[in-house]
Amino acid sequence: MKTIRQSGLVRHHSTAGFHRSTGWMFVSFALILVGVFSIYPVISSFLLSFQTGRGAVYHFNGLGNIQRLLKDTVFLQALKNTFVYFIFQVPIMIILALTIASVLNNPKLKFRGFFRIAIFLPCVTSLVAYSVLFKSMFALDGLVNRMLLAINVVAEPIPWLLDPFWAKVLIIIALTWRWTGYNMMFYLSAMQNISPSYYEAARIDGANAFQQFRYITVPLLKPVILFTSVMSTIGTLQLFDESMNITGGGPANATITISHYIYNVLFRFTPNFGYAATISYVIVFLVAILAFVQFKLTGDDHAA
Amino acid sequence: MKKFLFVVLALMLTLSVFAAGDKEAAAAGPQKITIWAWDPNFNIAIMEEAKARYQAINPDVQFEIVDMAKADVEQKLLINLSSGVTDGLPDIVLIEDYNAEKYLSSYPDSFADLSSSFDYSQFAPYKVKLMTVGGKTYGVPFDTGVAGTYYRKDILEAAGFRASDMENITWDRFIEIGEAVFAKTGVSMCAFDPTDGGLVRVMLHSAGSWYFDKNGKPFLAGNPVMEAAVATYAKLINSPGTMKTSGWAEWVGAINSGKAATISTGVWITGSVKAEATQSGKWALAPIPRLNVPGAVNASNLGGSSWYVLNSSKAKATAIDFLKQIYAKDNDFYQKILVDRGAVGSFLPSQGGSAYMVADPFFGGQKVFQNFSAYMQKIPSVEFGSYTYEADSAIASVLPSIYAGGSVADALKAAQAQLENAIK
Repeated sequence: MKTIRQSGLVRHHSTAGFHRSTGWMFVSFALILVGVFSIYPVISSFLLSFQTGRGAVYHFNGLGNIQRLLKDTVFLQALKNTFVYFIFQVPIMIILALTIASVLNNPKLKFRGFFRIAIFLPCVTSLVAYSVLFKSMFALDGLVNRMLLAINVVAEPIPWLLDPFWAKVLIIIALTWRWTGYNMMFYLSAMQNISPSYYEAARIDGANAFQQFRYITVPLLKPVILFTSVMSTIGTLQLFDESMNITGGGPANATITISHYIYNVLFRFTPNFGYAATISYVIVFLVAILAFVQFKLTGDDHAA
Repeated sequence: MKKFLFVVLALMLTLSVFAAGDKEAAAAGPQKITIWAWDPNFNIAIMEEAKARYQAINPDVQFEIVDMAKADVEQKLLINLSSGVTDGLPDIVLIEDYNAEKYLSSYPDSFADLSSSFDYSQFAPYKVKLMTVGGKTYGVPFDTGVAGTYYRKDILEAAGFRASDMENITWDRFIEIGEAVFAKTGVSMCAFDPTDGGLVRVMLHSAGSWYFDKNGKPFLAGNPVMEAAVATYAKLINSPGTMKTSGWAEWVGAINSGKAATISTGVWITGSVKAEATQSGKWALAPIPRLNVPGAVNASNLGGSSWYVLNSSKAKATAIDFLKQIYAKDNDFYQKILVDRGAVGSFLPSQGGSAYMVADPFFGGQKVFQNFSAYMQKIPSVEFGSYTYEADSAIASVLPSIYAGGSVADALKAAQAQLENAIK
């Protein structure tokens, strides 16, 4: 009796083990890849961030990299620039995207498909290609300056690439051009999920177009607006191509971003992988805070 | 047991995927030399010429000359050296002189010590010094960035200046001439990108000074040559005779379109100056102006690069022999690359060759390369150190405050602090 039960148990156990190992086998490919290419680099770069040195020679530096970070004027400048970008660029872009989306959502508008594609198209162009194009368009004797001079908006060419202020403006223009259409698509699809009966009711109550937008469209799009603004903010933190290709981070580091600075530390300057890892963990840290804020805010939204 | 087998199988499968990539590299024989360089019209084309010449001596050797963007060469080299995996490395690589010490001291033992393989007294001394670390010389000097001032004779004559007015002058005099030229002809004297500090390096080098002192410590604050260089550069940028440009294309465009009358930079610009054929006969060459400080000369350098052999090379002896046979012996090779590519080599015996004696009609019959060769021997030797680009970036970040009239000493103090932090 005992033996039978035991053997039954054993057999039961071994089939479960077989199923489990088959399951593990299927998962193992993904697990090994994730382990090698994702988990290991994360841990390894974290350890690296406590070391310093150059090239192939490294030694443990404790919190030295963080102390250095706090005194590093270029890093602080890069951090400041990144914040300037998202404080000015993200709201401009989101308001613009919302406005364009609500215009394009109007069923009476002709050639809607054409306009949608035209505004969406910039975000499928290559980052480098558009950056190079912007650089030449905004050169001192480039297309934009010639146009502004021709229509007498300015008396002399604007030094887009040479002046710290205008260079920042240029980066903001470039970012807005590239990403507005992308965000607009989110709003457009969300708007199409709003029942027309809300607007009908509002019209019967005598609400004008702006009131409809303000009190119906915007509140109903709130989760999408939140999502896009957090995504854009994270995108700004990782900004690299524009700073690298349009302005080269200059003039006088006025447009350099954190990611661009990491690149410089690794490839332009004497490579210090330890310090670069420390700076990249600053981005991780900032993104984590923003993601937390996002979860908090959207969570509240669901509760309400 | 089964579970164990599955895991082993899975691991083997994954590893075999990774391993597949390495086999091709291992199959390459020892008589193949891989070379990395970056300019198809310049160093790549010159290496192709060198290859053809060496294969005439030693037909068994095969070459693979890889053309990549300069930034890509540097990144691939850095990544390979940092990872410690040598399979992907070439046998010979071109490295920009400003970066040489950075590689040599950051990756000790990665490059072959060539001290005993070459007679370095036959190369321009300033080139040899910058590839010497700890008493060992590692590279084979290639092109020089000897600097000169190219100027439009016709425009300067219209403003009342002769060739002798451009010889042996200081930058202050250059600025004076520039303002007179601009006032009389409406043509700018020169074009500069205010965000680019290249000319500051030219000025420093001409006075035998650099961003760092002899011990490799940052020497921006309290360096009289440094102060004179940035102050002069700011004066030049703010001068009405100077046109401000942004980027390479606008800068070269300024001279090609006739908007600027001079360009002061490395000899490698010759091709771009001559690109505008309608200006043939109107150009001339003068030595670069000097700084108004003791010890400054009218000769300097901007850029230039050299060849390095990697220690991991499977064909190291052949690679060294190749460089020796061509770059340290073949005079005719140097004449050919000068005529075809405008490359001024730093192998001194080659500079008595026929190509250096050619009178160029574009420069009104002036023997410009003979002039460059003479300037080159006057270039002071400086040690660039490992951190040229860190220092460059620190200077660039304080230049706007100097342009705006701020204190030079304070700006350099700020730059010094930034640089010290950057090289910790």
